[in-house]
Amino acid sequence: MYRISSFGDFTCTRCHALVSSAHQLSGVNNRNHCPYCLWSCHLDLYAAGDRLSACKGEMKPIGLTMKKGRNKYRLESRGELMLIHECMECSAISINRIAADDDVETVMAVFQGSLTVHHQIKIMCNPYGILPLNTGEMEMVRAQLYGQSLDISSALW
Amino acid sequence: MNTDNEDDIGIVFRKTLGRYSVHADGRDIDCVVSSLLHKQLIYPTADPTSLRRTVQEVRELDHVDPVAIGDRVRYLEAGDGSGMITDVLPRRSKLSRPAPVPGQRVFEQVIVSNVDLIVPVFAAANPTPKWGLLDRYLVSAEAADLPSLIVINKIDLTWKNPSLEEELEVYRRIGYPVLSVSAVTGEGIEELKHFLGGKLSVLVGKSGVGKTSVLNAIQPGLGLRVEAVSQGELGKGRHSTTHLEMFKLDLDGSALVDTPGVREFGLWNVTGEELAYLFPEMADYVGQCKFGLSCHHDREPGCAIRRAVMADEISPYRYKSYLHLREEL
Repeated sequence: MYRISSFGDFTCTRCHALVSSAHQLSGVNNRNHCPYCLWSCHLDLYAAGDRLSACKGEMKPIGLTMKKGRNKYRLESRGELMLIHECMECSAISINRIAADDDVETVMAVFQGSLTVHHQIKIMCNPYGILPLNTGEMEMVRAQLYGQSLDISSALW
Repeated sequence: MNTDNEDDIGIVFRKTLGRYSVHADGRDIDCVVSSLLHKQLIYPTADPTSLRRTVQEVRELDHVDPVAIGDRVRYLEAGDGSGMITDVLPRRSKLSRPAPVPGQRVFEQVIVSNVDLIVPVFAAANPTPKWGLLDRYLVSAEAADLPSLIVINKIDLTWKNPSLEEELEVYRRIGYPVLSVSAVTGEGIEELKHFLGGKLSVLVGKSGVGKTSVLNAIQPGLGLRVEAVSQGELGKGRHSTTHLEMFKLDLDGSALVDTPGVREFGLWNVTGEELAYLFPEMADYVGQCKFGLSCHHDREPGCAIRRAVMADEISPYRYKSYLHLREEL
């Protein structure tokens, strides 16, 4: 969520953190949510970064999903872990890439929070063709957020 | 100097590098501008009839050139086909932009005066239309209280731009007339002539869209120099036209001003508060917001314009243009 309607740095109106839009920090082209509280702002309409939406409502992170990617070198075959946001004004649902500097503990907290209301989130996401992740995907989410566990002894020998 | 002589009045139809061509009584006179028009001298007002008036102050002017194409001017003739412009008569209308002059102050550049119709020209492809630039032209025309006619040239290349019709529909819905033409095949040129009849119009647009080619197609005898856009991915124009000139058309007293292509077009004399009024589809919603006339139509709650965009009554692309222009003002 932004105070400044531009592609530049902004102050999150939710947690008041100063957020840099530098690609070197986020690893994404269009910073679309605060990396600390993960709240977003409804700015895009047709495509990520088009900034054509007039709603500009606050968007709450409500869960996680997987998006099939075109990266054939990605180890995880199911795709890329994405945040699901819900607009508090118009109830629109969108998925957004997790940035490199997003707080992983907060991402995990969003996921765990979503498990308790998974059925409702699934119904909300259904018209958009988005499938929210459930309890069964906990290990996969952990692996994506914290990295693959590595047995050092087996790696050495 | 006999300033009351009606015979000494002509119309400026061309200007290049400080020389102005004035048309009067079927003759063309090559003129310079009197230095008095480059400054504003302030005299004491106590006794304006005094013969020994002294200049009290010299005020800075807010324009880069006191004379514009289309101006009705008084001139002094030297007798050898040259002359000097001594006065500019009041303008009926004008199309202006901030002059690209480095420095702190911003000067007005009057592109054309006494004009009846603004004709923004864009190409269907090569170069790709920049709708933000079109919105700037349309806002400038609205600010000058002048009608606009959107001309899309190179319609024979529409296959290169499949989304063109959808994008043009945005402007048709607002009520702007949109005309598709091809200077190459002649398609739409007769209809364009019908629009231009009896008016002084000005062709504006970025370099390479075919303004001069359209003019050549309207009046083939002109034989004006045109060039192909550069090859390669950029497909940019080559700045073939380098000066402003008005051409008399063989259409019941109409004339057309050809302008060099521009990459940027700033808004002159437009304030942030009045900008929404200059978008005709937004004007009806101004004042209906929760914060009334104080609303910037950006993030304020209860904004009627944002609500209209979400209800698909205003194009989100035009709304984005509005916000972009608003940031500049």
